[in-house]
Amino acid sequence: MDNQPLPYSTGQPPAPGGAPVAGMPGAAGLPPVPHHHLLQQQQAQLQAFWAYQRQEAERASASDFKNHQLPLARIKKIMKADEDVRMISAEAPVLFAKACELFILELTIRSWLHAEENKRRTLQRNDVAAAIARTDVFDFLVDIVPREEAKEEPGSALGFAAPGTGVVGAGAPGGAPAAGMPYYYPPMGQPAPMMPAWHVPAWDPAWQQGAADVDQSGSFSEEGQGFGAGHGGAASFPPAPPTSE
Amino acid sequence: MDSSSFLPAAGAENGSAAGGANNGGAAQQHAAPAIREQDRLMPIANVIRIMRRVLPAHAKISDDAKETIQECVSEYISFITGEANERCQREQRKTITAEDVLWAMSRLGFDDYVEPLGAYLHRYREFEGDARGVGLVPGAAPSRGGDHHPHSMSPAAMLKSRGPVSGAAMLPHHHHHHDMQMHAAMYGGTAVPPPAGPPHHGGFLMPHPQGSSHYLPYAYEPTYGGEHAMAAYYGGAAYAPGNGGSGDGSGSGGGGGSASHTPQGSGGLEHPHPFAYK
Repeated sequence: MDNQPLPYSTGQPPAPGGAPVAGMPGAAGLPPVPHHHLLQQQQAQLQAFWAYQRQEAERASASDFKNHQLPLARIKKIMKADEDVRMISAEAPVLFAKACELFILELTIRSWLHAEENKRRTLQRNDVAAAIARTDVFDFLVDIVPREEAKEEPGSALGFAAPGTGVVGAGAPGGAPAAGMPYYYPPMGQPAPMMPAWHVPAWDPAWQQGAADVDQSGSFSEEGQGFGAGHGGAASFPPAPPTSE
Repeated sequence: MDSSSFLPAAGAENGSAAGGANNGGAAQQHAAPAIREQDRLMPIANVIRIMRRVLPAHAKISDDAKETIQECVSEYISFITGEANERCQREQRKTITAEDVLWAMSRLGFDDYVEPLGAYLHRYREFEGDARGVGLVPGAAPSRGGDHHPHSMSPAAMLKSRGPVSGAAMLPHHHHHHDMQMHAAMYGGTAVPPPAGPPHHGGFLMPHPQGSSHYLPYAYEPTYGGEHAMAAYYGGAAYAPGNGGSGDGSGSGGGGGSASHTPQGSGGLEHPHPFAYK
């Protein structure tokens, strides 16, 4: 506990030996263009997500069909809200339950990527709006969020809309998660464990300070409030004492 | 509610009595003039649980983000259903089928969804056939799905049964907390509860036994979404240790002292939530 290694808050990331983790593959060094690298990382994460989902769908078991993540009756009611819809086969809501699951997962990943770009750890409405604005296939959702919220925040790493669902660019860049691997696996040797996807050294001091503030002051009360509001129950737990340095 | 709605689905066939009853229900619903507000959205607890599967453990979700995702899901269902229904009408059919839904997704640009959903539908029909073969007894189907855990097992029992295996698995490895978070994300995305020990880890390039020891219990939540599971997850009994672990992770991670988790991992050899002891 007392002999923990010093955090590398400035300068270049250490060599792979600096943060040894057994069984993890080596990560390539950071490329010279962080902007382009960030975009590639995001594309790689989404590709890994879909590859993983294709594997999972083939492993669905009977328990998955008995315990749907979303209630079938509710799905059917939403489908029937369209007066032109007459009859629905029994398989359609089952398929929709899985489809909505994939939809929620993809929208959440794309929204979280936007929150990460802005150095936040709370997913907000404007993150969802940005994800919708950036993704062509989500055009049907532009009316769900106000138009002004869809604008990019000043200082965002990606100033332009990312490509849609099509596969863009070459294969996964160095250090990016491969197919079947967890999509938030940080490359080996990165000095900031709280940055799942990538790390840009030039931004490190501000990020470290911001993260420290959030960790030590806001994270617990925020979490408690979130759970209380979300599930109708008071969630007050004593926060763990910070162990930094 | 889910189980009751599944039974008609299992028994429904074209021309069968169950199918007729199902169609009758649909006709009745069609006559309903308006849809209630609470029925217009997916339950927010289900939506949040799905979102958590791809978010890091330290991520928070604001209330307006939760509500926005809820709205988006309903809009997505209506969007796809509208396109599928147009195809039905064009071909002078009355029933929207799963194929119509898949076709609509492909037409509307959701190409990435078609392949996993096609595989999912294929698996569903396999179990459907099994269920019919055993005389419409859904309980018999799990034995064919490779599910290693009975559904009736309570979350507390799962925590108990997981302990010894986790302890044994933890001996040769020690990992940083963010690895465990990744493991949680990985298992969170798994619809099937993973079996204990190496067989499941073999499917991934990097096994993280320590991570699984901490986060596996919560991976069961998506599968057992029933009322008792919800109570267990958000009640004090099962929730407090997990909260402790998350808090510890956030504090240490922010300071950059990721190596400090190694002794905690060692200390937790006999308990699935070592972060509770600090």
